[in-house]
Amino acid sequence: MPSLSMDREIFTYKGARRLFALTALLTVGQGICIIFQAIFLAGLVSGLFAGQSVSAIGSRALLFFAALVCRYFFVFLIKHFSYRFAERTSSDMRKKFLAKLFELGHGFIRGQGTGTLVTLTLEGTAQIRQYLELFIPKMAANGILPLMILAYVFVEDRLSALILLITMPVLIIFMILLGLAAQKKMNDRWASYRVLSNHFIDSLRGLATLRYLGLSKLHQKSIERVSDKYRVMTMGTLRLAFLSSFALDFFTMLSIAFVAVSLGLRLVDGHILLGPALTVLILAPEYFLPVRELGQDYHATLDGREAAHKLNALASREENDHTQGDLIPGTWSDHSVLAFEESSVDYRDGKQKKALDSINFSACGFEKIGIIGASGAGKSTLIDLIGGFLGAASGSIKINGRKADLTDAKWRRLITYIPQHPYLFSASLKENIAFYAPEATEQQITGAVRSAGLETLVSQFPKGLNEKIGAGGRQLSGGQEQRVALARAFLCDRPILLLDEPTAHLDIETEYELKEAMIRLFQGKLVFLATHRLHWMDQMDRIAVFKEGRLAEIGTQSELLQKDGSYRSLVRSQLEGIQ
Amino acid sequence: MKTWFVPYMKKHWRGLLLAACFSVAALLCAAGLLFTSGYLISRAAQRPENILMIYVPIVGVRTFGIFRAVFQYAGRLFGHDTILRILSEMRTRLYKTLEPAAFFVRSKYRTGDVLGILSDDIEHLQDIYLRTVIPAVSALMIYAFWIGLLGYADGSFAFLTALYLLILLIIFPAASLLWTGRSHERLSRSRHDLYEKLTDAVLGAGDWVMSGRQRSFLSSHEALESQVVDEERRLKAMRRWRDFISQIVIGLCVISMVYWTGNMVSDHHMDRTLIAAFVLAVFTIAESLVPVSEAVERYPQYKDAFRRLRNLETNRFTNLQEASEEIWENTSEHMDIRADHLFYRYTEDDRWAVNDISLDIAQGQRIALIGRSGAGKSTLIHLIYGALVPDRGRVTLNGTPAHRIGSLMSKQISVLNQNPHLFDTSVINNLALGSEKATKEEIMHAAGLVGLHDLITGLPNGYETQMHETGDIFSGGEQERLALARILLRKTPVVILDEPTVGLDPITEKELLSTIFRTLEGKTLIWITHHLVGTEKMDQVIFMEDGKIVMAGKHDSLLKTNSRYRRLYQLDVPEHLKKVLSGPAG
Repeated sequence: MPSLSMDREIFTYKGARRLFALTALLTVGQGICIIFQAIFLAGLVSGLFAGQSVSAIGSRALLFFAALVCRYFFVFLIKHFSYRFAERTSSDMRKKFLAKLFELGHGFIRGQGTGTLVTLTLEGTAQIRQYLELFIPKMAANGILPLMILAYVFVEDRLSALILLITMPVLIIFMILLGLAAQKKMNDRWASYRVLSNHFIDSLRGLATLRYLGLSKLHQKSIERVSDKYRVMTMGTLRLAFLSSFALDFFTMLSIAFVAVSLGLRLVDGHILLGPALTVLILAPEYFLPVRELGQDYHATLDGREAAHKLNALASREENDHTQGDLIPGTWSDHSVLAFEESSVDYRDGKQKKALDSINFSACGFEKIGIIGASGAGKSTLIDLIGGFLGAASGSIKINGRKADLTDAKWRRLITYIPQHPYLFSASLKENIAFYAPEATEQQITGAVRSAGLETLVSQFPKGLNEKIGAGGRQLSGGQEQRVALARAFLCDRPILLLDEPTAHLDIETEYELKEAMIRLFQGKLVFLATHRLHWMDQMDRIAVFKEGRLAEIGTQSELLQKDGSYRSLVRSQLEGIQ
Repeated sequence: MKTWFVPYMKKHWRGLLLAACFSVAALLCAAGLLFTSGYLISRAAQRPENILMIYVPIVGVRTFGIFRAVFQYAGRLFGHDTILRILSEMRTRLYKTLEPAAFFVRSKYRTGDVLGILSDDIEHLQDIYLRTVIPAVSALMIYAFWIGLLGYADGSFAFLTALYLLILLIIFPAASLLWTGRSHERLSRSRHDLYEKLTDAVLGAGDWVMSGRQRSFLSSHEALESQVVDEERRLKAMRRWRDFISQIVIGLCVISMVYWTGNMVSDHHMDRTLIAAFVLAVFTIAESLVPVSEAVERYPQYKDAFRRLRNLETNRFTNLQEASEEIWENTSEHMDIRADHLFYRYTEDDRWAVNDISLDIAQGQRIALIGRSGAGKSTLIHLIYGALVPDRGRVTLNGTPAHRIGSLMSKQISVLNQNPHLFDTSVINNLALGSEKATKEEIMHAAGLVGLHDLITGLPNGYETQMHETGDIFSGGEQERLALARILLRKTPVVILDEPTVGLDPITEKELLSTIFRTLEGKTLIWITHHLVGTEKMDQVIFMEDGKIVMAGKHDSLLKTNSRYRRLYQLDVPEHLKKVLSGPAG
């Protein structure tokens, strides 16, 4: 049974109250039709029973039919209005969510996973729509129809009304008790369930490993065995879970049977007439219908409610309160200065330790700054901070001496960011290169292609620059992907360049070749390069060494090598041979 | 459909039929309850002298009331049990189909989580039985029963009713299928589009944000989304109308029943107590035919799943031969690997992925294999492992062609790759996968050798800790170490290292490499690497390019004689830094 109290949220959606009022009104209309339909049908049957001729019942037959058509027309209208509401509301939610997603980008997605977000946007919206579409009409039907029918039956025959009245709570109590028992059994077995239901996909994912271990043939047996175990266990739970709908069926049918028998006994005694008795008998199943329909889509609505909660929570999530800065300058010049003062960044999962802890340093003009340190020392966090993918928890960031908010879109427009795995869109090579500068001319694009060293690749493609790449097209190697990113950077020519470990995953020859193109790109730009690869440090003006979230030292390479500090020990531990 | 549906229908038709029978019985009980109730109160209204006259219908009413729930319950259980059996068989089948292509599944389908999709497809296919086959068959049986019952009383009326009810049983479902089939197809195409575009955009969200072009994406997404929404609205409206008209059809059916029973009674062909009985029962009977439309309409939704599963069966990596020689049953002590003018290409019109390669690897040799992506390193490894059959030339292990050793190859060669899979079971079970004969002591010893024993014993449940509970406890380097321990237990003479250190930071990389080299002392090592760190430990460093070997030799001699090698080595080990280090700090 869905607990109605948990769904208050639904009434905060626009138009929900109006829809509820409308639905309630239409449901009342539907209830009146149901009662009339029963009265006319009973009249028809008892008339024929009393010996009326077939030709005499035409008008009543017509009335019955009219009541029936009206009844289902009301249902039709309710469905129509609630679908419209559900469609509009779920679309609004999706729009709000997507806007947020593409406003925050990066940091938002990293915490969630691409697959989850896409599924939530597409399937989640569909589930929400289904939930919204079903919830209000069902609530109205359950609140109104049984009461109306019961009231009418009470007028016709008190004993039958009493039977119906008593059955309802008994039925609901049994359903809840059995539902809870099934849930408890599920929970008790949750751990084994998880293992069993994951086993198959886990096996598929580990297929290559199984093959290398010589177990892949043998494992087939284990799939059969586990699937069978899973079946037995599922059936054990289902036996209990289905009991709750068994209770529903059992009590409804028994209640109708009791009504029929009690009517029969009193007819024999002449306490009641056939007409009213038939009406009551016809209404008895109608009395239980809304409850029975409630259970049908229960799980669908659960998923929808869950999705709605998640979508709303994510859409209304506020990133770290950004210290409102002054206007960002639209350009970056030789004299511009970016300064960090006591800047700190917290870990996303709220760990005690800080990802960046009170950083102080400044970068000016077109300096090249190497960022180095062990994994988890805060290199990437600093890059994210500069790129505005996340906000600082404390401290201040200044540009040319004035406080600045780096999450500002204007700041982003000064930056090119090249990660370890630049993303290539499923589009033509040309569109990918011109992503940051869609208005670029053919000539400019060819120039960028040349600068990035992509000419040979382009000449190999049958369609040249128009060749499709990315997920839906030709697959490029890691080095080629990196070159496309370089071409993008050459083309849009923004003054600040952020690189996060651009070459570590590449084979050494590719790295060597790429380095030449990259050094060309660095010219006349402010560069921040985070890497483990020491050879890059020769190209850097200054090196910032990070250690456990703190800036351990900063200076030119020769300065740092002179000192017996963090940089020197880092270099030593990297360069000593393998034991 | 032929391969993924018909065989299961053939095998399990009894179970499915039984489930359908139970649900028919349940429906008949519901109809029977109303039928006998109608009869009961009509008979009672005649005020019979003796109450015993209505005793039988009273018992009938109660029996039908109770058994309706019982049958329904039994039917659902039977249905689910049969479907879960089918599901389990389909899973085994999918596994069997994918198993021969084990090494190639990932590279063959790059977009999305193909394995997840396939496994979901199979889950979805249970609906075909649960929501299409069983409801359709039960409706058909109810229809036959009802027409039979009417035919017993009046042949011509039964005939007319039979024709009339075909509206619900055949015409509406067929019309729905025709009408919505194309709609469903369009919808599934647009949905697919939407899914791909959105995934693409979310993966590249960083770029959208940085470029400041989010708005243009959002509006193009909304345009595509509104196509889907429009199509769905049309479908929904169609269903609404269909439900509405179905109810009117039922209403007319009830009225015709009223007139027929009225006529039958006035002609004295029927007792008047049966009027109410028939009229009340016809509601339930007619309503049970309505779900057929919905059941049939689902059909297009299964098509995609069927198509994907069928495509799987056409892959060319069929089962390799099993070893014929008994000697491969046991792990060899000594293994000579020899490649002799080896050629391989993936398709006829491709260039050679491996182009005339000859190699001689004696037991205990250590080889580093370096090259750009696409240079043919992985293909060469697959050839040595026997997963691919060379187009020309041969590669032999102790004189036997590699591909003839088949699945017994795993007893001779172990592989440590980039992302070793750790299974969702306990830590010790994961390690024990290395060798079924290993004792707990041996396993713990292996864990000790790779330097993980202390870490594992420090876990909440030690070696019995479940992998999924460890969460992020095992870092990338530690996961490689677990896989290494697994390999140590196998004791194969040859180990292939397929870039096990990609993605690790330099210090972790070096520690892992020294553990690997230390623990695999005496074994033949074939190591694909992208850096030159550690090559000084190798007996031979081989550079591959376009399927050929372009440079080979020992590290020291290459460094002395080959300027290209020297240049590359500079990137990994900058010489001037090394010099500075050897001097004192300032």
